[in-house]
Amino acid sequence: MRASINRPPTPDADEEPEREPALVEVINVKMVESGEKEKLKELLRERLIECGWRDEMKALCRAYARKKGRNNVTIDELVQVITPKGRASIPDSVKTELLQRIQSFLTSIVL
Amino acid sequence: MSDGKDGSSSSHSQLSIRCFHELLDSIIADVASECHRVARLGLDRGLDEEEEELRLSEEARASAADPSSSGEVGCKYVVDIFGQTHPAVADEIFECMNCGRPIMAGRFAPHLEKCMGKGRKARQRTTRSSAITRSRNSRGSPVSVYAPYSNSTNSARVPNGTTGGAGEEFSDCAFEAP
Repeated sequence: MRASINRPPTPDADEEPEREPALVEVINVKMVESGEKEKLKELLRERLIECGWRDEMKALCRAYARKKGRNNVTIDELVQVITPKGRASIPDSVKTELLQRIQSFLTSIVL
Repeated sequence: MSDGKDGSSSSHSQLSIRCFHELLDSIIADVASECHRVARLGLDRGLDEEEEELRLSEEARASAADPSSSGEVGCKYVVDIFGQTHPAVADEIFECMNCGRPIMAGRFAPHLEKCMGKGRKARQRTTRSSAITRSRNSRGSPVSVYAPYSNSTNSARVPNGTTGGAGEEFSDCAFEAP
């Protein structure tokens, strides 16, 4: 029967939201295949290093590790420590630049 | 988002934002991984931290030396990757094949230097050919053929320790020098 408890709702019920994740997958695949994803990642990394974001994050990690004892930290903990501050402290210029590039890539593959 | 064309720009921007966040997360993971490594390996932690770690490692070594009974004394022996400790000087004893004396392995090399060079002198006796080669290689400089000559007096330029025997070889070298 269709109503297995573990199955998500069938696609007939929600069509639009179902399509979007699939689209994201397609985009992702296209980005990886064309090498654009790597370029974007390198660009983002470079910008974040330039603006000192990376050093800020490393300082946060160091402080956290010092507080917790350096042998008691896990990578997951560090990720959780950095992520909220990291997402918030991205300079707008960097964000804009990356978003523009992503969007131009999207239009180039959609059209 | 249910519209096709109208929602395309917003869904485009949504997609872009999602992609951007994904890139950002991956970079965050890289930074976290590197900081984790730095923290675990104890690199780059400032001097006061290092002093504390030095103290801790001293204590660790002391406490590791106590329960481990590999027959070693004190905590000055380091532990290798198999957990074994080795004395500073290799202590296996065997017979020297030259003189037949029982020698400690760690002292074998210096023993051989003396043992094989012995006849009379503490150092190796040079043969004529090696001395000639040596003088040929270093023109103009005095032929110092292993001037050990512990009991000999060195003349000005040519240390030909003729005292003590094997004199013929050295006197031959003496000809080479000037």
